[in-house]
Amino acid sequence: MNYVTIDQVTKGYENQVVLNDISLTLKKGEFATLLGQSGCGKSTLLRSIAGLEGVDVGRILIDGKDITNLSPRQREVGMVFQSYALFPNMSVFDNIAYGLKMKKVKNIKSKVKNMIDMVDLIGKEESYPHQLSGGQQQRVALARALVMEPKVLLLDEPLSALDAKIRKSLQKELKRIQKELDITTIFVTHDQEEAMTMSDRIFVMNKGKVVQSGSPSEIYTSPVNTFVAKFIGNYNVCNMEVFHKLVRSTELKGNEVAIRPEVLQLVSAGEDSLDLQENWGIKGVIKDVSMTGNVLRYEVETDESAFLVDYLHHRGEMFEQGARVHILVPKKECIIL
Amino acid sequence: MKSSLTFHKVIVGLLVIYLLIPLVGTFLFSIAGKWDHTILPESYTMDWYIELFQDERFYDAFRRTLFLIVMSVGLSVVIMLPTIFIITVYFSKWEGLLQAAAMLPYGIPPIVGAVGLIKVYSDGPIQIAGTPWILIGAYFITILPFMYQGIRSSLRTINAVQLVDAAELLGATKFQSFRTVVFPNIISGILVSTLLSVALLFSEFAFANLLVGGRFETIQIYLADKLNSSGHLTSAIVITYYSMILLLTGIVLKLTFRNEKNPVVSNKKRILSFFKKQHCNKNTAIEGEK
Ligand SMILES: Nc1ncnc2c1ncn2[C@@H]1O[C@H](COP(=O)(O)OP(=O)(O)O)[C@@H](O)[C@H]1O
Ligand SMILES: [Mg+2]
Repeated sequence: MNYVTIDQVTKGYENQVVLNDISLTLKKGEFATLLGQSGCGKSTLLRSIAGLEGVDVGRILIDGKDITNLSPRQREVGMVFQSYALFPNMSVFDNIAYGLKMKKVKNIKSKVKNMIDMVDLIGKEESYPHQLSGGQQQRVALARALVMEPKVLLLDEPLSALDAKIRKSLQKELKRIQKELDITTIFVTHDQEEAMTMSDRIFVMNKGKVVQSGSPSEIYTSPVNTFVAKFIGNYNVCNMEVFHKLVRSTELKGNEVAIRPEVLQLVSAGEDSLDLQENWGIKGVIKDVSMTGNVLRYEVETDESAFLVDYLHHRGEMFEQGARVHILVPKKECIIL
Repeated sequence: MKSSLTFHKVIVGLLVIYLLIPLVGTFLFSIAGKWDHTILPESYTMDWYIELFQDERFYDAFRRTLFLIVMSVGLSVVIMLPTIFIITVYFSKWEGLLQAAAMLPYGIPPIVGAVGLIKVYSDGPIQIAGTPWILIGAYFITILPFMYQGIRSSLRTINAVQLVDAAELLGATKFQSFRTVVFPNIISGILVSTLLSVALLFSEFAFANLLVGGRFETIQIYLADKLNSSGHLTSAIVITYYSMILLLTGIVLKLTFRNEKNPVVSNKKRILSFFKKQHCNKNTAIEGEK
């Protein structure tokens, strides 16, 4: 049973199509992520679900109800904005209580207290937004949305304004709260790593279309096209003719081949114990070595094109710049696009 | 380094002196008794002020000016605030048009404007030429650019569009979100543009003279009239009304300055306390009168 259904939604501004025939469904309690580069229409889709933008064509359903033409306040969705959008004239407590007051519900005090407890802001009730750090402000924004017990929680790049460390810890916390409340969530990010760690399901968007959807590992291990391959995992994408020349074999068919950098192996050019049953070998020269934390990334120049090769950073094992190597390409890791 | 600092100080000092001399001169003249062949007055007197404050015409002119200002500034706030809010938040594609309309008055010299207004309103369906109402209309237009800029930049500063989005998602109606989220956060910005407009209108002469002149004597027209009779008295008027402008400007500066240091939070309190203070002042003034 689908809890959220987006059915062939299309939307444009003036002469530009921003959402192009988007269809997707979510189950109750799912944590879904819209992932795509800046400008691909993620925010527009989210705002359409919230009712802050209208759609030109298509329907949006939540919990079996068609909400396409309802106003934002009737939709029972909560939203957290990238820039928090806290009310500067209200304390933390009043910010969180705002929606409850508008709805005139009972027990406002205890509900707000619970929420403040949940997002770990005890002691800050009387502070004003400008007295809080970015991370704290984001917690307030989250609490303000969650206290309304929305059917769907929408998060528009909520963490992208925060520094790396706070971001990591808030990712965990957000995930914990989402599980605890079992709330259906649509999260927007342009950061593939963030999408991978947090989501049950990822919808990769490009130019107003959903180009692929699936679990993080599905998306990572079997991208459907070049865009996803490059965007998600820094895949080496190689034209098939070029690849045939490099490996001196025409075994693979198709347009392009995509290979993840971490499945490739490097062997010194001098060694001759190459396993050429399971692998293809490509001759090359190390052009550049860079280090990102625990990963060593080699850029290897071959006759036709450059390949990225990732290694975990072990002590002592390192190829120098300019070294002649063979790249071993495992046959079963080649993805044909 | 040190010498350049001294240099700056000297420049600033000269500038201050240059700006202050006419003012100090006027002030001295307003309290001077005999003053013809000495550098400083030979004797001092409060007679001019006493004469001024005993002149019914002065109070009447003052009251008329206040009436005009309160009406036109009040009208401006009441009309422009909702207009700008609605355009900015809900019809942003019309913003350019509103901006152009609001900036138009800058381009029209008062004389041209006045002649046009008299022509249009001296016959036809609305015959208000020569009455204070035409002046209120003209003043509304005069302060339009200030009010527009002030209100719009306040809305921008607080990112009103997004606050309204957030409030509406939390269940507020459009009006509720304006009243509870937008208004409290822009009130000090509005107050600043309001006070600036008041200060501007206080010294407005061209429109007042051309449109109504002696039929509705404002403080500026009174001043112009007195210019012919007594220089001392004129100085006293100038100093009096200058002090009021100074007071107003002081309040504006204080509000803006505090605003930057400590955004919006205790605005409500600050404005309340400001009004309380004003209230006290008024009380003492009234007691003083009795
Ligand atoms: N109000 C608007 N008017 C015109 N174009 C807009 C408006 N909002 C967004 N767009 C355009 O729609 C596209 C998608 O924007 P957005 O959904 O914000 O992208 P994302 O959130 O993925 O970065 C962009 O090209 C942007 O310029
Ligand atoms: Mg966006």
